Amino acid sequence: MRVLVVDPDPARAALVTEGLTGIVPLEVVQSTVFDPVQAMRFEPDVIVVASDSPDRDTIESLRETTAANPRPVVMFVDRSEPGLAEAAVRAGVSAYVVDGLAKARVRSVLEVAMSRFQLMSQLRQDLEKAKADLASRKTVERAKALLMKERGLDEEAAYRLLRKLSMDAGRPLGAVAADLLTFAGVLKGDGDGR
Amino acid sequence: MAADRLRFGFIALADAAPLIVAVARGFFDAEGLQVELVREVSWATVRDKLGVGALDGAHMLAPMALATTASGEVSPLVAPLALNLNGPAVTLSSRLARSVGAGPGAEGLARLLARRRQEGSSPITLAVVHPYSTHNYLLRDWLARAGIDPDADVRLTVVAPSRMTELLTEGVVEGVCVTEPWGAAAVAAGAGVTAVRASQLWPRTPDKVFAVQAARAEADPARLQAVLRALLRAAAWAEAAENAGDLAVLLADPAYVGASGEVIQASLTDLVFHRDGANAPQPAHAEWLLRQMARWGHLSPAADIPTLARRVYRPDLHAKAAAALGLPPAEPLAHFGED
Repeated sequence: MRVLVVDPDPARAALVTEGLTGIVPLEVVQSTVFDPVQAMRFEPDVIVVASDSPDRDTIESLRETTAANPRPVVMFVDRSEPGLAEAAVRAGVSAYVVDGLAKARVRSVLEVAMSRFQLMSQLRQDLEKAKADLASRKTVERAKALLMKERGLDEEAAYRLLRKLSMDAGRPLGAVAADLLTFAGVLKGDGDGR
Repeated sequence: MAADRLRFGFIALADAAPLIVAVARGFFDAEGLQVELVREVSWATVRDKLGVGALDGAHMLAPMALATTASGEVSPLVAPLALNLNGPAVTLSSRLARSVGAGPGAEGLARLLARRRQEGSSPITLAVVHPYSTHNYLLRDWLARAGIDPDADVRLTVVAPSRMTELLTEGVVEGVCVTEPWGAAAVAAGAGVTAVRASQLWPRTPDKVFAVQAARAEADPARLQAVLRALLRAAAWAEAAENAGDLAVLLADPAYVGASGEVIQASLTDLVFHRDGANAPQPAHAEWLLRQMARWGHLSPAADIPTLARRVYRPDLHAKAAAALGLPPAEPLAHFGED
């Protein structure tokens, strides 16, 4: 089976490609944009395409012109595989399948693609969270240093004070530290437009 | 599904205005509706999300709503409201426009193609936005009127609307048929020249509809009516000349259409959003589109066109909402087109 992976996100495409090669013996080609000439030459049985690719409408136009007549997977699997097409659409995965391909094989390709899409969004979320955590830790360090300087506290006491402010306000430590830095800036005359 | 928040999909085009205005100017709020607009980058994804219920309604190419329902393979759709009339235009690359000469007909292009054929040159490529689009059928009809066979004498391809200017400039395509503001954007960028507008070929051309799953329209008719009332009021707002400046600024927002406000405002003059009953989904429009689909082999010859047209286009749902707002009833169109 030949699978063409079209995804504007090259990292995600690579993840899908890698997952597919592990599961079924097949040939996979990945691309960030859909090139009709390349596609004709490769003659894919399945085109897996990200829902956020603007090339989906171009792929649909091939349905008119090729004998192979690839069809959107939503139409292909809707009746025999309840829930599969829906899950794929919601996961941001679309696919075009050449008529005559065994449905079980389509399912395995789709499931790999969906799991990789989900993995990718999980990785992105983790990365965002790690960045936010790091930023918050830096803010806390700066607020602590400010308290040590302005109030003559040692590090331990400065941290305890921040913790108390956080608990009293019912807000995260990072947010309280950020407020403290902002207010200190205002009191020193920063950001008042003068 | 009865989530409180409705999700409506749209593509970055000027004729998504009724949906965008209804959100931004509070017409949905006024009906007690919570609506989230979701911008999609392909019509195929709009259709699939609508089909599986990931969207509750969408801005959609009228022929796509018809073709999806005709396929019988996925949830049938209904179009209770037309979002616009006119809007598509054929824009030729500046280079091609110079060699084919002026005039709204494609005769100059026919002569050029005949000459190129004799010289053994490769065929020129023209782009539309989707196979099942008013644009495809308009461009085909425009070519056919001058004796050009759109399936043999040119290469027709499909490109996302917002990429049209770029591909014209690069010479990847020599002409496009797209809805505003992307035709005007290509002209403003010096990439192309408007050859003919839909309004010149087929006055009051049907283009986009608001589409929902038939099953959902039946499941909650009261909420659908509230949506239609909000869209009608938004369409009337978009139509009003005194709002054109504000509308252009609103649509220019990168979250919506994301083209220059000046280009958008200039492109609005050809579009009809509301006046003279434009929002009524006219079965005569659907029949014309279905006949065009049949003409080019995009619809089974066995299809029952009048029945299919009335199954998708639902003037009754529009009429009820219009009456509730005290709007005059839309004149039913007996026939559209001359094919």
